[in-house]
Amino acid sequence: MSSTATTSTETNAGLNAEALRHSLEQIAAANGISRWDLGAACSTDLSVQVDRGEAKQMKGAQRSSITVRVWNDQGLVGVTSTSDLSAAGLERALSGAKEASAFGNADDIPAFSPLATAPLAQLDQPIHAPQGILRLLDTLKGAEQDLLSRHEAISTVPYNGLAERSSERIYLNSDGACRQQKLSTASLYLYARAEESGRKPRSAGAVRLAYGAGDLDIAGCINEAAERTISHLNYAPISTGRYICVFSPEAFLDLIGAFSNLFNARSVLDGVSLSNRESIGESLAVPFLDLHDNGLHPANIGASAFDGEGTPTKRLALLEGGVLRNFLHSEATARAFGVAPTGHAGLGAKVSVGPDWFEIGPTPGSGGGQGGLDRFNAGEPIVWIDSLSALHAGVKASQGSFSLPFDGWLIQNGEPRSIEAATVAGDIRQVLKAIVGFEGEAKVTPDGLCPMVWVEGLSVTGEA
Amino acid sequence: MIATAPPDTGSLDSRWTPALEDLLACGRSAGADLVEIFLERTDHLGVLAEQDTITSVTPAFGMGAGIRVFRGHRDGFVSTNDLSPSGLRRALEQALGMLGLEASLHSSSGFEGLPNLRDFATSKLDWLQRCPQLTEATARLLEGTDQLQKHGKHLQARRGSYARDWQEVLVAASDGTFGRDIRLHQSVGLNVLAADGEHRAGVGRRYGTSDQPDDLRRWNATASAAEVCTSAGTMLYADYVEAGQMPAVLANRFGGVIFHEACGHLLETTQVERGTTPFAEQVGELIAHEAVTAIDEGLTGGAFGSLSMDDEGMEAQRTVLIENGVLKRFISDRAGELRTGHARTGSGRRQSHTFAAASRMRNTYIAAGPHTPDQLIASVDRGLYCKSMGGGSVGPTGQFNFAVEEAYLIENGELTKPVKGATLIGEAKEVMPRISMCANDLELAAGFCGSVSGSIFVTVGQPHIKVDSITVGGR
Repeated sequence: MSSTATTSTETNAGLNAEALRHSLEQIAAANGISRWDLGAACSTDLSVQVDRGEAKQMKGAQRSSITVRVWNDQGLVGVTSTSDLSAAGLERALSGAKEASAFGNADDIPAFSPLATAPLAQLDQPIHAPQGILRLLDTLKGAEQDLLSRHEAISTVPYNGLAERSSERIYLNSDGACRQQKLSTASLYLYARAEESGRKPRSAGAVRLAYGAGDLDIAGCINEAAERTISHLNYAPISTGRYICVFSPEAFLDLIGAFSNLFNARSVLDGVSLSNRESIGESLAVPFLDLHDNGLHPANIGASAFDGEGTPTKRLALLEGGVLRNFLHSEATARAFGVAPTGHAGLGAKVSVGPDWFEIGPTPGSGGGQGGLDRFNAGEPIVWIDSLSALHAGVKASQGSFSLPFDGWLIQNGEPRSIEAATVAGDIRQVLKAIVGFEGEAKVTPDGLCPMVWVEGLSVTGEA
Repeated sequence: MIATAPPDTGSLDSRWTPALEDLLACGRSAGADLVEIFLERTDHLGVLAEQDTITSVTPAFGMGAGIRVFRGHRDGFVSTNDLSPSGLRRALEQALGMLGLEASLHSSSGFEGLPNLRDFATSKLDWLQRCPQLTEATARLLEGTDQLQKHGKHLQARRGSYARDWQEVLVAASDGTFGRDIRLHQSVGLNVLAADGEHRAGVGRRYGTSDQPDDLRRWNATASAAEVCTSAGTMLYADYVEAGQMPAVLANRFGGVIFHEACGHLLETTQVERGTTPFAEQVGELIAHEAVTAIDEGLTGGAFGSLSMDDEGMEAQRTVLIENGVLKRFISDRAGELRTGHARTGSGRRQSHTFAAASRMRNTYIAAGPHTPDQLIASVDRGLYCKSMGGGSVGPTGQFNFAVEEAYLIENGELTKPVKGATLIGEAKEVMPRISMCANDLELAAGFCGSVSGSIFVTVGQPHIKVDSITVGGR
């Protein structure tokens, strides 16, 4: 394979933007293509899993991929993706994209983002050298042993992993735009299983992210996984009924993410959003709820400085005082709405749009709803939802409804008891209007920043 | 070190033999018990039609290698897009290094070379060319969305999607495994969003086959559109289901997702290895109602989960998992056999070269029983009839869940009003003995399964079955 896109086939060390541009320009010219853009990515990954003190699996991966778009003589767009970054691969990708462009949608033609050369935010993302797989293995063995020692009922940590990744991505277009970002990231997850004699097995876990394996909060991850798992050992079924539910930050962020079509201009234009073109300015939630998308937040490990079209990432108000302020946009949707792209695009013939990282909390100056909320000092039973499951199956995003299994606790008279098995069901529009208030400080999670959120009147189905 | 360069060819065939033998010998001489190399080339086409317009055409192609090295019960796995001699050598050395092994020029490998290639692809070489080209594929999809418009009411959005996945694989291992195959999966889906005032219903269906280049040409767009629109029309005004414990009758075809999630995953040796299946020590014991016989196989012609050989080069087979309620076998791959002692079943599967193979389901279904579907419904005084199922999942303690897309109340042995918003939850050990009746109308349905070795093509299936009691989550 003659490599044109990687700096070195010996080390697979990264992408060479100038070499890639040079190759694309030559191949495009030879194929009569004058307008093109490209997204490329490569990564090197190492990961380990362990099982009761032994290495279970050790994995390494070198990956590379490109997606190339071309505009044909009629101005229609075609796209092709490939993992073959050789000259032959690039040529095949360009010709494939040109062939596909014959089927481009004349009613919705993407263009280069007007912000593809705008200044990018400076992100503080230190690059760490990989520790290497044997050191990762030792670290994970130690973490597993520590977690197993926390309670006699914790017999295994069936799902665990420690990984580090070095990655790089590029956006180029034929007008001269050139975006490039390098990253190193590391992740740790520990999911423990505990079982007491005569009782059902219970499980829970924790995740940590950092820019390098040496920066991971391993002790915090072990503590959280242990505390969560142990807290579910004393369980009981719950009676079916309507409850005040207190969502953990992770659970509420998951729920909002599953219904992000509320804020998605692509979904609005496609007619599958719960919002419509006239929804901007409408009150969607209680008047003390703010929701921003902020991929640039310093706690967003692995943040992208630019989206798939090269548009800079930025903080964007979605809900202020419960009122819908903005949609998430690509270049094409922004043009359709007469606004600027927001940095939330993918790259394709039909460009997808998606959120980055949510910030959820009280509207400044609003009081944030009911004050002094404390789930352990409530006058009625409280369902504390720790984590939601099966969002891919139980969320009907275009209908607004959800019915989801969850792990959590029923708190009565200040005493939490784990719920054996239950589902929570509702409608996201009603949830946003039924928020009672917030509890505690906002917590940083892999998906965003959020405090505990109280919602009244949700249907919980149990087995009691 | 590799003495022989891989062939500069567009095909994965026996011309790779010298290069693969060099790699395998190198790995064995370093001290590996077994070295396995998985090579693949892929060619994907995705097409999306919305309303009456083609809105996205997404071709993609790729190639890569996954190299796995075993020593004792441990293994190291490295994947790469770089099929050059240096790229493959680097991947092998990295995998060896994970196990503390080092490639050596001087040690004897004990590897005696690869046998003749078992080539399952010889009759499949023209499959890709025989598939519909873009002009034909886009026309068929637009026919689908047009049929949706003709059959549906209150449709706010109509979508048709087509995916064609072609994959050529070459598997070589130092135990003499050397096989090649070509796989072809095609699926077409129709989705609608119906809306009338505050009432909304999103309904979708996907139809898929393997190894049938003419599949899209034979697809009955009219019947598919009618099925989707009938369901959407029914569910648009349906009330939300009332939650509680109740008996349920689950329809055939995709109803089989209950066995897939509630039990199938727990019969994979990956779950035995992790200690996350309650059935690990129960071979030969009654784990389900005597009415239940369950099978996992890779042989049914055209089914989404069928394959000539698995991703470890083993021919597919028919595996009886449960017979009259008694656990017979686990679904096993190479690592599963090594670590749990359960013999391989031709079930080592992976999404792509970037995943190590794992024990995964193929076509998995509950066998037909003696009853008619009407007899099952008539046996229920008050319960739920689940006509169409959505996706689901199973957790590390055996708790499963899945969504019901279209359901009806059963009252006094008859179907009455439609209801929506149901999620069924339970535990495998508790629900399997409650499957008390199986009807005589076994049918299969195509699906996708995501797990440790990625997203793979599978089939679920069952006849109509009755579950005596299950938790129905709703409002």
